[in-house]
Parts: sequence; structure tokens; C-alpha cells
Amino acid sequence: MRLFYTVLLLITLSSALAQTRLTGRVTDRQGNGIPLANVILADTYDGATTDNAGMFAFETFETGTQKLVIRFVGYKDFEQAVILGGKPLVIQATLEEAINELDAVEITAGSFMASDESRRTVLKAIDIATTAGATADIAGALNTLPGTQKVGESGRLFVRGGDGNETKTFIDGMLVLDAYGPAAPNTPSRGRFLPFMFKGTSFSTGGYSAEYGQALSSALVLDSRDKAEMTRTDIGLLSVGGDVAHTQAWERGSIAGKLQYTNIRPYFGLINQEIDWKTPPASWEGVGAFRHQVGKTGMVKVYGNMSRTDFSLYQHDIDNPASRVAYALQNDYRYINGFYKDVLSERWTVRGGAAYTYQRNDAHTGTTATLETEEGIHAKTVFEGTLTDKIELKTGAEVLQRHYRQDIRTADMPTGVRAFDETCAAVFAEADVYTSNRFVTRAGVRGEYNTLTDKTSVDPRVSMAYKTGKVGQVSLAYGIFRQTANNTWVRLQSDLEAEKAEHYILNYQRITGGRTLRVETYYKRYRDLVKYTGTADEPILLNNTGHGYAQGVELFWRDNETVRGVDYWVSYSYLDTRRNYLNYPASSMPAFASRHNASLVVKYFIEPLKSQVGTTYSYTSGRPYDNPNQASFNNGRTPYYSDLSLNWSYLPKPYLIVYLSCTNVLGRDNIFGYTYSDTPGTDGLYNSRPVRQAAPRFLFVGIFLTLSKDRLVNQLPTL
Amino acid sequence: MKHLRLSLLVLLLSGISLSTIAQGDRYTSAMQPHIHTVYTVDTVPSLQNAVNAFERIGAAEKTRWEPHYYAAFGCVMMMNHEQDKLQKDRYLDQAEKALAQATALVPQESEVVALEGFIYMMRLSIDPAARGQKYAALASQTFGRAVALNPENPRALALQAQMQYGMAQFFGSPTTEACATARAAMEKFATFRAVSPLAPQWGQSLAEKLQGACKE
Repeated sequence: MRLFYTVLLLITLSSALAQTRLTGRVTDRQGNGIPLANVILADTYDGATTDNAGMFAFETFETGTQKLVIRFVGYKDFEQAVILGGKPLVIQATLEEAINELDAVEITAGSFMASDESRRTVLKAIDIATTAGATADIAGALNTLPGTQKVGESGRLFVRGGDGNETKTFIDGMLVLDAYGPAAPNTPSRGRFLPFMFKGTSFSTGGYSAEYGQALSSALVLDSRDKAEMTRTDIGLLSVGGDVAHTQAWERGSIAGKLQYTNIRPYFGLINQEIDWKTPPASWEGVGAFRHQVGKTGMVKVYGNMSRTDFSLYQHDIDNPASRVAYALQNDYRYINGFYKDVLSERWTVRGGAAYTYQRNDAHTGTTATLETEEGIHAKTVFEGTLTDKIELKTGAEVLQRHYRQDIRTADMPTGVRAFDETCAAVFAEADVYTSNRFVTRAGVRGEYNTLTDKTSVDPRVSMAYKTGKVGQVSLAYGIFRQTANNTWVRLQSDLEAEKAEHYILNYQRITGGRTLRVETYYKRYRDLVKYTGTADEPILLNNTGHGYAQGVELFWRDNETVRGVDYWVSYSYLDTRRNYLNYPASSMPAFASRHNASLVVKYFIEPLKSQVGTTYSYTSGRPYDNPNQASFNNGRTPYYSDLSLNWSYLPKPYLIVYLSCTNVLGRDNIFGYTYSDTPGTDGLYNSRPVRQAAPRFLFVGIFLTLSKDRLVNQLPTL
Repeated sequence: MKHLRLSLLVLLLSGISLSTIAQGDRYTSAMQPHIHTVYTVDTVPSLQNAVNAFERIGAAEKTRWEPHYYAAFGCVMMMNHEQDKLQKDRYLDQAEKALAQATALVPQESEVVALEGFIYMMRLSIDPAARGQKYAALASQTFGRAVALNPENPRALALQAQMQYGMAQFFGSPTTEACATARAAMEKFATFRAVSPLAPQWGQSLAEKLQGACKE
């Protein structure tokens, strides 16, 4: 008996003290071993790390039912209950791949991202600001990317055979009615928004998300910065004015204000200009931004800017240059945008906001006064959710209301009024379905109702991306896009149909270290474009029978690895486009289109000189113009355009920057087109005058000083 | 900002003499060998093995911040062995995730805040041109906070000195401030007494090296 108890005791003891040995192998779905995975006996110290073959082995004194967890970055946790009782256990674990931002394929067809936060982007936010020749203009920098056609006298973004109006700008998802400042006829306008305000820029040359409507060719989506990290004051002394900005930051928010005065008069006094200015442009601009964190996860952003610009000039008659007419313009602009985002639950987030734009142009030509006002309100709410770990859904609704009015007053004539109101309501939904980290399909649909036409439309958008290997991927995109016809026509006939475009895009992209290669080809079909007979000033029979197409191939290469300190990119776009719209007598290449566009952007950091130098070379082949002295329409070709720009930033102190830039250093006399007199001369020929650059070069000097507690920051990213 | 390309990681680690305080409890003895590993071993598998162990201990010991702290530190060490920028960021993501757990437990711990600043400094080193504006400010601010929380923390001072020195060198401005901070760090290292056998002990050689550079 005693022996029996002794034996029993020994057995009990030994089982209590017995170690259990766990061994096994951890693999992915293909059966490849996963090295360095963490094998965890939950809530104990016990466990192991897998070896190169995915094998592990460890012993534990724990007993009973326990949970075994196997974890590795990029995979979902593997969990299995184990009963520990001294008997060796063999575990075979297959880890499921987790769809994650860093490894998952991205849809890149048509889209260029510039962001600091997402790491696989082609551009960084700072690239927008430091591109030579762009003079810190967002459109100027994006004009060095493929898909754009340089239209030197406009300054706007012309994308893939599209007109400048076909590109729409969105700030935090909210539409901006007119993203460009006023400019004299045939001089380039600048964007109203400075690149440094944004942490991310997504420039899409086609096939964009169902979230964005009222844009035929391109969506420029800008994400404003979150709360400022530090209190600082920035002072800028420019050759054409000055600015002062102050940012106050606190733990949960920040507020910033900026006042800028630009006066180009003294500069134009020094340098001979092509334009006969009476008073060159001067403007005041005020900008304010407020950021505040709400609760644990919410963020409120308010941004507003207002400006007043005025200038006046003389327009000379082509046939009789001594005869001139004064033209004066005063532009008032206000924009305010309120944005809110918050996390609703583990799976859902909400964002939304409202934007208001007001614009007033008071123009005087000779004895005619034209007062043009446009007001717009845009409100939007978007819900984004993760339905499963492989399906993401985005859905939302928006309303855009616009009021447009033009008053024309001429001496001894009744006031002419042209006005319209538009309400456009839209709903959209879009799902990203990941089959694996290698393959994603995005399917979306956008429904719109427009009061101008009293019609409802439904537009599909589909894109796909597939990773061909570790570094390469192929994307496809298709979509139908629509946009209300230009104000110029709608104010005359408000029930014009929306213009439509259909995009087909195929893209290949590979990123290896510091080198990026992109090749993209596309076909775009235009339908329901505005058409009329007569002249642009007095159109007759406005209708929507216009149509056209654009197709092309584009290349982009960027390399910041091969030569130390040197970062460069090359882009090339080939475009074949024809349209039969407006009062075109036949299908023809429009005047803003150009067959070949190429850019080379180089940035070089010279450490001993504490300087960054940059240069941009742009080439655009000749553009069509219509020569009334020739029988066929739009048959003329301007000479090619080329521009070599340089910039130099010198940082003598962490808080001080001296900045110098010059466009067109070679002084090429670029000609953008020709204007012809309305009536032929006695010889039956129409006289012409070339449309030239306002001045061959634009030289800019600025000194920027930043005052802050840390003295480490400077304004480089704002330049 | 290329000066911040930090081969200093090596410096951080050399010359650590692990205080072999007599073995205490089970927790301490489980931690010590792995702490020794993240200080001295320089292969990714060994580091990952230690990080995995910290992760297990951290999950079992719900009130201890040290396992998360050293897991984060180990991830930063692994980052240093990686060439690929994307992968470097991945390690720093892991480091941030681990450190966030330590922060949740001891939000006012100067050592944890200093390591947070260190992670920002490493983010900066990956792409100084694009990240300078954001991470230089963030790192400096965070080191400042770490020093404010515990003016006796020599690591916070050493890292702050490194940041100041890098910026001064980059802009060619005087290194007076950086050198004063480095000197302060050295003084604190001399008087620093670890409150626990698991307290962080790295960073002295960084301060030494900086002080050496200051004397040249």
C-alpha cells in the first residue's frame, strides 16, 4: 500500500513537473517556411522564434489548456488551443497573409501621388515646392509630369488633350471653383494655393475615383496639413512684395495666419515687358488656417483665403497699333473650407465638410463694364469602412450649388444680364476588393442629378492593379466622367447637356530603391461637347453635338540613387488628339494641344555651399493656330516652345534662406500662337500679331526668415 | 541633414558594461539575457529573437514597460542592418508600435520619450530632404520633453546633443550649444545610477564621441 502511494505520488509529481515539448513548422500558404516568426504561449514567457526553415521547438512547464499564438509582420495571427500534459506536441501552422498598406498593390493608373506619409510615392510634397521654373506654383510643378501639355500663356493644367477647365482642384475633398488667380489676357495665371499648405498631392490624369465629379480630364486632390507642430513666425522679403505669417501651436491644435502683398510694378519698371501696362498687377492676400483635435480621434480643419488683385493695360489694335483700348480688372476672391474627420468605430471612419467660394471680376474695356460674380457651395460627407480585411468600401453624398451672374453695361445701352443657377446632387460608392496583396479591383459608381438639365446620370468607374513581381505592377482604369459645360456657354443657354469623356488607361510602374519607371498609355473619347455656329462672342445654335478623342503614350523616369546628391526626373508625353467642337468647321487638333511634351528636372544639393540648385528644361512641339489667310482650319503651327529655368536656395543659417530663381535663362522668344484682325486688309489678307511671353525672363529674389523657439526650421518647403 | 546619417548606432552600443546586479526575480532574470542581446549582438535573427522574447514577456507582464521599451529598441537596431528604405520604415513602424505600449503604461517616463525621439531621428535619417522639416522639429521637441521630464537622464541629453550637433554642422553654425549639451550628458552619465537592473544603460559612447568632436 505504501509502495502504491509512493508510486502514485511520484507519478503525480512527475506529471506536475513534466515539461511539454512543442515543435512545429510555420509556413505561408504556399508552404514556404516563415523565419523569425514569434511563437507565443499566450500570457507566459514561453515560446520561440522560428529558424530559417520556419521550424521551432521549445519546452514549457505550463499545463492544461493554453493558447498558442504565432505572429509575424505581414500575416494574420495564427491561434490554436493546446493541451499541455507532458506529451510532446507537433504544431503545423499556416499563416494567412494580411492585406496591409505597405505590401498591397496600389492602383496607379492615371495617378501621381506626392506625399511624405505614404512611402512608395513617385514624388514627395517637397518636390512640388522645389521644382525650378515652377516658382512654387503647384500647376507649374505638375506641368513637368507626363500627361500635361504646356500652354505657356495660360499657366493652367491641360491634361491629355483636355482644356484647362477640364482639370478640377479639390482641397480635403472639397471642390474649389476657380483655383487660379486672375491674369491679364495671354499671361500665365498662378494657382491660389501654395504648395506648402499640403502634406499630400494626388494628381490624376484620368480614371479617378467615383468620389470626384464635375471634372472631365483630371482631378487635382490636395490634402491639407494637420496641426502645426510648433509656434513660429515667418517673414518673407520678395523682389515683388513681402509676406508675414504666424503660427501658434498648442497641444491639441494650431492656428496660422498669413498676409501677403505682391506688387510687380517696380519690377516691371526695370524690365521691358511685351505688355503695355497702365498699372501692372498688385494684390493683397490673407490666409488663415485653424486645426483642432476633437476627442481622441477627431480633427477639425478650417482654411480660408481672400484676396484682391487689380491691374490695367492697353490693348492695341492689330491693324493700327497706335489705336489702343484700356482694359482694367479688379478681382475679389474668398474661399473658406471647413473639414471634419473622425473614427466612428474600429471599422468605419467619416469625413466631410463644406466649402464656399465667392469670386467677383469687375472688368472695364473701353466704355463697357462687365461685372461677373460666381458663388458656389459644396457640401460632402464620406464614410469609409473596412468590411472585411479584404474589402474596403467608400460611400458618400454631396451637393454643389452655383450661382453665376454677368452684368454688361455699355454707355447708352440697357444692362445685359446673363445668369444661371445650378444644383448638382451626387451619391457615390466604391469598393476595393483585394484578392491578395498582389491583386486589387476597384469598382465604383457615381449617380448625379443636375437641375440645369433636370437629368439623372449614372457613371461607372473601374480600375484594377496587379503586382507582377516585387517591384513592378500593372494597372488598368476605365470610367465615364461628366462636367457641366463652360460658364461662357451655360450663361447663354442653361439647359446645355453635360460634356462627357470616357477614359481607358493602361499603366506599368516599377520602383526599385531610388529609381522609378512609369509607362502609361490611354485612349479618351469625348462626347456631347458644346458646338455652335457663328463667333465665340455671338454664338448661334448652341448644342451638344461636339465630339473628339485623345490618345497617347507617356514615360516617366526618376532616379535619385545613381549620382550622390543628384535627383532628377525625365518625362515625355506623346499626344494625338482631334476635336470637332465649338465653331470648328471640321475635326481638328485644338490650339492648346501639342504633340510632344518633354521635361527634365534636376535637383542637386551642394553641401559645402549649403545650397540646393535646381534646373528644369521643358520642350513642347509647335501648337496649332488658325490662320484665316489659309483655306484649311487650324493649319498653322507655332514654333516649338522651350524653357530652361534655374533656381538656387542658399541656407546660411537654419532659420534663413536666400532664394533666387530665373525662368527662361536662355531668353528664347517663345510664341504661343497668333491673333488675327477681324477684318481683312485692302490686300484681302488678315493681319496677325504673335502671342508672346510677357517678358522673356522672370527673375525672382527672396529672403525668408523663420523665428521659432528651436531655430531649426526654415521655409524651404514653402519655396 | 545628411550628417544625421547615423552610423552612430554603433557608437551607442559600444562600451556598455551591463551592471550585473545580483539576479532578482523571475521577470528580471528573463529580461536580462535579451537586454544583453540588443546591446551587443548585431545580427538580425538574434535581434528578432530577443524582440520576440520581449513581446512575449510584455504580453504576460501587463504592467511592465521595459519589455516594450527594449522591443522597440531592438527594432531600431534591426533597422540599422537594413539597406532597403521601405524595410527600414517597416522596422521603425514595429518600433513605434511596441513603444506606444510602453508610453501607454508610463507616459511620463523620460527614457521612453527619449527613445520616441530616437525613432523620429531615424525616420529623418532615411530621407533627410523630404522628411527634414517634419522630423527634425519632432525629434528636437521630443528630446526636449525627455530632458524636461528628467533632467538627470543622460540618454535624453546625449541624443539631444547629437541632434543639435547634426543641425549645427549642416548649417555651419557654431556647435557651442551642442557641445554644452554633450558635456552635460557626460556629467549625467558619470553620476547616473540605475534605479533597477533593467533600466536603460546605453548612449555613453555617443556622448563621448560628441565631446571628442567638440574638442577637436
